[in-house]
Amino acid sequence: MPGRLVENLERHGALSADERLAIEAMAGAARLVPAGAELVGDGEASADCLLLLDGQAFRHKTLPDGRRQILGFHTPGDVLDLQRLFLGVDYGVTALTSCRVAAVPGSKLTEALIEHPRLAHALWRMSLVEASIQREWMVGMGRKSAYARVAHLLCEMFIRLRACGLTNGERCRFPATQAHLADAVGLSQVHLNRVLQQLRSARLAAFRARELLIMDWTGLAAAGDFDGQYLHLPARTVAPPPPAQGPTARTGRTTQA
Amino acid sequence: MGNPVIRRLEHFLPLDEAEKAALSDLTTDYVRELAPREDLVLEGEPPRYVNLVLDGCACRYKMLEDGRRQIVAFFVPGDLCDARVFILKAMDHSIAAIAQTRVAQVPAERFIALTDRFPRLTRALWWNTLVHEAIAREWILNIGQRSALERMANLLCELFMRLRAVDMTRGEACDLPLTQADLGEALGISTVHVNRTLQTLRAEGLISFKGGVLEVHDLPALADLAMFNPNYLHLERGEAAGVARLLATT
Repeated sequence: MPGRLVENLERHGALSADERLAIEAMAGAARLVPAGAELVGDGEASADCLLLLDGQAFRHKTLPDGRRQILGFHTPGDVLDLQRLFLGVDYGVTALTSCRVAAVPGSKLTEALIEHPRLAHALWRMSLVEASIQREWMVGMGRKSAYARVAHLLCEMFIRLRACGLTNGERCRFPATQAHLADAVGLSQVHLNRVLQQLRSARLAAFRARELLIMDWTGLAAAGDFDGQYLHLPARTVAPPPPAQGPTARTGRTTQA
Repeated sequence: MGNPVIRRLEHFLPLDEAEKAALSDLTTDYVRELAPREDLVLEGEPPRYVNLVLDGCACRYKMLEDGRRQIVAFFVPGDLCDARVFILKAMDHSIAAIAQTRVAQVPAERFIALTDRFPRLTRALWWNTLVHEAIAREWILNIGQRSALERMANLLCELFMRLRAVDMTRGEACDLPLTQADLGEALGISTVHVNRTLQTLRAEGLISFKGGVLEVHDLPALADLAMFNPNYLHLERGEAAGVARLLATT
């Protein structure tokens, strides 16, 4: 059952019991897909929209010559291809971890947009937030230094994963490779690797072994010029995490990208 | 000329007379004239209106603390700035006119009443929103992966196609009242670099851009240089076929 979507929507304005049932009744059986699997194929037609129940995924677009841009990361509760309701998809979505997903028939979701005003409200909100995140990424790539971009991305992922209850203190599982991060911020892998090393030596954050560790939230947010308003989360969710009890970074190993 | 908002939404579905009349009323009741560079709504303010661009050219932008600005979208006539933006507590970006611009600034309640009365319009508004999100994704790809020259070529192809879709091109020309600074802020490159890329495109006989008028002399070559794929504009079938013909190298 797509409990995550309900959670995600609830945070944006508490669904009634009826609406919760309405969504749960719409989704088909959940299925598991392995990390690396393609969840949404660029240009592929489907009558269903896909809900991410568990796991992480990323949205991407590739130029004809093979240059790939990651457009965003997905956390549990996201609808991966809401666009299908009215348009063809013009991007792909790939599983970053193994994922649990469920299909919702597009026709039922469209109907809900008209019949269930509060569910419609929640989905409008979801789309506005998605658009806001996209704009923030444009600002990063258009105007910020490589160092600030990476710091900003790590802040965003930590806050979003925390909002889904997927952080543990200052740590969270974020199994992107350095290649993923490079494609998300528009840097070469070599450059990205150097920036991660700088963030670690500045004792702001460490990204290794598929895990993100926030060492100094205030410092990292300042380095990335990160202000979580654009995520439109409740204020308590965007508040900085509790300060770490002394630096706890492990040393000696580097992430294998 | 007809109402560009109706023209735009009719790319998704033909509207009936009552729907058109209701939209026309909205776009005449709340007209506001903006001077060039005038802000319409600022980041941090609570959104109270749905803005419809009737004439001119506007943009969404975000400002960094040090004053550097990134333009994150352009609006051309017929564009709607977020049909449900008032769901959010505060704007996450600002909207400003670039040229002299006429907008309809429709109060949220009025806009909700419209879709309550004509539920079919809700579908058209979702379509419009999703198209703008698709354009934003292409901009991320553009800034993240394309070279400065490719970025410029892609943006010019996009704007030409969008203006064409609302009947605002004349042959190979269209009004594009953007400065080189605007282009730089949209593409994430310096004004000097903008100047250089425009000169290159001109020298290769692809475009000319002077006095706020863009002329695209060789659209297939410009699109080829940009690796421009119009799929993200989600043009309606007839328009898409027209674009395919224009892009075909002869």
